[in-house]
Amino acid sequence: MEILILIVVLLAIAGYGTMLYNRLVRRRNASENAFHQIDVQLKYRHDLIPNLVETVKGYASHERETLNEVIEARNKAEEIRSQAGSAGASAATMGELGRAEGELGGALGRLFALSEAYPDLKANENFRDLQETLTSTERKVSSARRAYNNAVMEYNNTVQTVPSNMIANMFNFTLATPLEFEDREEIQQAPQVSFS
Amino acid sequence: MERTHYLRREQAQRRTAIFVALFVLSTVLIAGIVGAVAGLVLNQRALEAFEVGGFQAALAQFDPQVAAMAAGAIALVIAVTAIFRLISFGGDGAKVAQSLGAIEVPADTRNPLKQRYLNVVEESAIAANMPVPRAFVLKHEKGINAFAAGADPEHAAIGVTHGALSSLTRSELAGVVAHEMAHIANRDTQLNIRIMALVFGLVAVYVLGRMALRGALISSMGRRSRDARAQMLMLAVGVVVIAVGALGILGGRIMQAAISRQREYLADATGASYTGDPQGLANALKKIGALGRQGRVNNGHAEEARHMMFVNAAAHHSMSGPFSTHPPLIERIRALDPQFDPDTDPVWREDQKTMMREARPWGRPAP
Repeated sequence: MEILILIVVLLAIAGYGTMLYNRLVRRRNASENAFHQIDVQLKYRHDLIPNLVETVKGYASHERETLNEVIEARNKAEEIRSQAGSAGASAATMGELGRAEGELGGALGRLFALSEAYPDLKANENFRDLQETLTSTERKVSSARRAYNNAVMEYNNTVQTVPSNMIANMFNFTLATPLEFEDREEIQQAPQVSFS
Repeated sequence: MERTHYLRREQAQRRTAIFVALFVLSTVLIAGIVGAVAGLVLNQRALEAFEVGGFQAALAQFDPQVAAMAAGAIALVIAVTAIFRLISFGGDGAKVAQSLGAIEVPADTRNPLKQRYLNVVEESAIAANMPVPRAFVLKHEKGINAFAAGADPEHAAIGVTHGALSSLTRSELAGVVAHEMAHIANRDTQLNIRIMALVFGLVAVYVLGRMALRGALISSMGRRSRDARAQMLMLAVGVVVIAVGALGILGGRIMQAAISRQREYLADATGASYTGDPQGLANALKKIGALGRQGRVNNGHAEEARHMMFVNAAAHHSMSGPFSTHPPLIERIRALDPQFDPDTDPVWREDQKTMMREARPWGRPAP
């Protein structure tokens, strides 16, 4: 009889442990998947930029400095992105990626500000499409980053809190790194929602 | 600030749970009342006792078996019609959108307004971490409005009016679309379909009562029966069923509207957290107020779909009451933008021409 009770208790503990383990795996996968989304959007953004630069060149070729800045920032960001690869990348790489994307955003901002002075460029259909696509891609990056950070927070909470932290220690689940980007102001500002 | 949002979200979810519980309870109550009446009336012994000793005597002959059967039958009627309704309506968001007269936007559209719309939909889907819903446009609607449909994220559809596309700037449109995405993410579309189904079940009870009443009237006129009082009781059953059914429908509508109002606040808050830009959504709401059209949709199906529109589609004024499915516009704006003052706010009194000029995705044409 006692043995039977012991077996039942052990089975229950094993079952509970399996459940926690599975939860950890699911959350880790979710955060990796969310990271992949950011990666996809970043790559898309980087791929668009040479196109944009070519279009602008046709109308404002003497703005070489700004155009070069954009290209350089883009190349640097792309290099770091291809290194960062997966969600397992170090916090330092993530920080670097964030900074590079921030710089790229700044350079693009200057380019678009500059385009205000060229009505022909602004009226160009291709430029208009590129501008919209880039704006959208930027939004998608920040949306994906927000979704990623949420997934990371959920995963990290699971890794650190009792009782799942025991399973996490046993099977080497390490903390994931949230992404902080230096965005443009409007994206950066915290949502001002209050209800009363 | 973030914290306020989460607190509010929890509060809204709790209230929704209470309302749903009330709804289920009222269904059980209706079945119970009808069952109790039936236990007395559809029972020969109780009827005979009533003839002799009146109500008290009849009560003593109460037949729990008949009562349980009648209650079960009523509950079954509600359940079966509700399930029927559930299956036939609303599972597929695209079908609902088409029934409203909306047209799907092709992925390769060259129209800059529609391209922007498709982009905005994708952005919110990424923020919500959900599959991208199908995107529709209500072509001939000049007012600003939007809807979400579909029982689950895999079958979801989002639609906006043509007026929303042409009068809202990018960030405002993003706010509106994120609000609709929040409805899908929070499973409001699913909840709404279920509530509609329950109300539909109550309508069936009402119809059943009318049928019983008519039957009783015909039989009482047809033959001169010895137990006229029993037939009066049959009439009473019909009246009770009708009254209970009608009250149920009324209560159901009120509760549906109350739940919907809560879910609107929640969707505003969740949507703002997707875009990180509550001002965009607030400005979209202000423009709706400014247009005075109050997001009116002229399609005949709008009444049926009023609960899923971005703003109240049927109301001419910003009316509020137990039956309105949306909170007053000004209160929704204040929740997003606490500094909002209708007397001084410039967007609140903008005209549509200015809006459309501002909303143009392309630059102003060269002079």
